[in-house]
Amino acid sequence: MFAPLDDGYLVIEAPSSFLAVGRALRQLPLCIETSGGEVVQGLCPDDLVVASAPGGGPLMPALMLIELVRRYGQPLVVLPKGHPGSRRLSVVVSAGPAIRVACGIQRGTHPEQDLLCGSDAFAGLRLSGVPGGIELSGAPPGLEIRSLPALPADP
Amino acid sequence: MDVEYNERVKGRKYRCRDCGESFEGVGKHPVCPSCQSDAVDAV
Repeated sequence: MFAPLDDGYLVIEAPSSFLAVGRALRQLPLCIETSGGEVVQGLCPDDLVVASAPGGGPLMPALMLIELVRRYGQPLVVLPKGHPGSRRLSVVVSAGPAIRVACGIQRGTHPEQDLLCGSDAFAGLRLSGVPGGIELSGAPPGLEIRSLPALPADP
Repeated sequence: MDVEYNERVKGRKYRCRDCGESFEGVGKHPVCPSCQSDAVDAV
């Protein structure tokens, strides 16, 4: 299924969790910091930045996380497996040309950007960035999608 | 469902032609993390 997307967001909602999806909008380096060092993933304008709130909650932190990545180029810090801080993360983010949602991983502990921690309701969902929007496949039934405009630039 | 994944992402070494920065890149479109140039060479 194709869903159009400009510089705003798509919010994909399940009853108690959600994903927020934005396009990268520009070419930028995404720095991924792990205990083993730094790797840099180049993002293209049509690539996706997807924030996931596996336990639900307010939407704004997810939108802000998308902007921290795509607008301000903040690095992603990856926790080691089993790190106690994992359970403190209410929102996690991945960025790249295609992202698969998985429910069997610990929040914030996987550096590979084609995989994003999500709730059971999104299991199997795959999002791909395409010109003018996103392509969704493997979407479980019952998800709702709505569009939101981009957050304003710095005041 | 359990998912296996690597804790360490393996990338390629690149050097930026514009600013000289060396970095480990992943993905199809490497971009320099210092000057954001895509004029980079694999080393």
